[in-house]
Amino acid sequence: MQFLESIGVALKSLIANKLRSILTLIGVIIGVMTVIAVVSIIAGMNKYVADQISSLGSTTFFVDAGWRTIMSEEDYLKVLKRKEFTLQDMEAVKKGCPLCWKVGAEMVAYRKVKYREKYLSDVEIDGSTANITEISDINLSSGRYPSEFENLHNRRVALIGWEVADNLFPGQDPLEKDIKIGNYYFRVVGVAEKRGTFLGISQDNFVMIPITTFNKLFGTKRFLAIFVKVESFGSMQEAQDQVRLVLRARRHVPYDKPDDFAIMTSDTFMELYRNFTSTAFIVMIGVSSIALVVGGIVIMNIMLVSVTERTREIGIRKAVGAKKKNILWQFLVEAVTVALVGGLIGVILGSIIAKIVAATTPLPAAIEAWSVITGLIIATSVGLFFGIFPAVKAAKLDPIACLRYE
Amino acid sequence: MIKTQNLWKIYEIGNEKVQVQALRGVDLEVEKGEYLAIMGPSGSGKSTLMNLIGCLDTPTQGEYYLNSRLVSQMNDDELAFIRNKEIGFVFQTFNLLPRATALHNVELPLIYNGTESKERIQKAKKALEMVDLTDRITHKPNELSGGERQRVAIARAIVNNPSLILADEPTGNLDTATGAEIMKLVDRLHSEGNTIILITHEADIAAHAHRAIHLRDGKIEQDEKVK
Repeated sequence: MQFLESIGVALKSLIANKLRSILTLIGVIIGVMTVIAVVSIIAGMNKYVADQISSLGSTTFFVDAGWRTIMSEEDYLKVLKRKEFTLQDMEAVKKGCPLCWKVGAEMVAYRKVKYREKYLSDVEIDGSTANITEISDINLSSGRYPSEFENLHNRRVALIGWEVADNLFPGQDPLEKDIKIGNYYFRVVGVAEKRGTFLGISQDNFVMIPITTFNKLFGTKRFLAIFVKVESFGSMQEAQDQVRLVLRARRHVPYDKPDDFAIMTSDTFMELYRNFTSTAFIVMIGVSSIALVVGGIVIMNIMLVSVTERTREIGIRKAVGAKKKNILWQFLVEAVTVALVGGLIGVILGSIIAKIVAATTPLPAAIEAWSVITGLIIATSVGLFFGIFPAVKAAKLDPIACLRYE
Repeated sequence: MIKTQNLWKIYEIGNEKVQVQALRGVDLEVEKGEYLAIMGPSGSGKSTLMNLIGCLDTPTQGEYYLNSRLVSQMNDDELAFIRNKEIGFVFQTFNLLPRATALHNVELPLIYNGTESKERIQKAKKALEMVDLTDRITHKPNELSGGERQRVAIARAIVNNPSLILADEPTGNLDTATGAEIMKLVDRLHSEGNTIILITHEADIAAHAHRAIHLRDGKIEQDEKVK
């Protein structure tokens, strides 16, 4: 009952002193708003990345010399010295790994792609085996995939990404048209479905051609990756072991040395992503929390002013029988109420900001219940922490001095 | 009902420890139902005595019994409990909560002894009725006249049925006519059986009481029956 009374007093004084309330609240509002916005964007990114990575599938893994897991200059120099995989390695995996259901390969280069006077520079050119479309998800919007036959015979056919089609063939059907990749002409046989962007990088700016053609025209030493799909998740680990065995033997790795290549699954990528981002995220949350501390100090400041301003009120309450704890509670509840109101507004504004960011930039955002609850709990804690000193000060005041206070 | 023995209050002022002896051995007994005025020029120690009797402060030395309970050695929270239960204050400057309604101001002592809200409002309304303010209960202090404010303060003082009503210059901030009205009300409270102590330096206000004590330099100089 005294508790409700205190909340009532707090809300009344909030409403009575509008300007002061806004100034008091603004610190907490900005603090909670920033934290909620940052946390939502981080959560959104995590979720988005997790979705993207899991689209690789839980029954797929791939192997390369280590290019896709480089995290430092040291890693880079190490990978640079390694032997690249070849199509012969892929064939050996096919033979030596009975658990591998489908084995494919892909190589990557970047070239200018041109159709008549229109061109795109630095398009990702993927030289792929025909079965790659069965191993990783590439859906067609029109046409067909390059076939096994075309792969065997180094045919110059291409499956183009949605963005390439949109840029080179605005308002036209790209099928059966000839595009120029680097210095060579290719016939467009298919257009892939739109895949969207990943952290602002387009996933649709690619051209896929037969790997044999790629080898012939763009060279053989091009970051070849071997793709493997197993029939069920249960055989993933064993299949990886078989592949490892084959490749270590082929590359003559001594038994006491680590692999000189990398086997990657969606889990590997998730882990890489986490390693790479977790520190940055902690720093981001930490920095945005500074605003909360400032907000707390503002509350403390205003509560101290409020205690001084209401010295007489404290005296009156004490004269009619308020105990120390009654006064302590009153001011503490006021501080927490102020902080909580600020927290609520902050949560709302933070969510709006996260939505705006998600709508106007490549960054995704996810507002989650736990982050909203955490935001409110943090606001309450800030109110408690910074409210306790003014409240204790108020509770300790001498009633006679208070009643005499002008 | 009130019994003090050799009550001393010594204040230390500033950092140089200058000692001020505000009360120097006061012995006082007040019976239930008495109507007492404490008089004296400023600096005589009457405010200090009122603070001690009102349990707002504790003496440096000596003993104070209120309803046979030794209150001179209680701690702050115990004193708060006694103030709530036994004492109703009426101040010169009214001391109402400026942002609260008359009703809420009168409810205040009941809030601190845990009375339920229904009973609280009922009691507060009854107290306001006793001071003839039934039609003003939703007004805030700044919407009331000085006399009305003091009547709200009196309602607050009596709402908890205290054993003692302490009125510190209750007419000091009022014009003569309003002051007379308030004194009439105080007289009525006394006739209804309340024990009243008036602190004043005005002889005509003190004349309402049945007994007057004159303080000078922290000591009782004179203790006389008025009527």
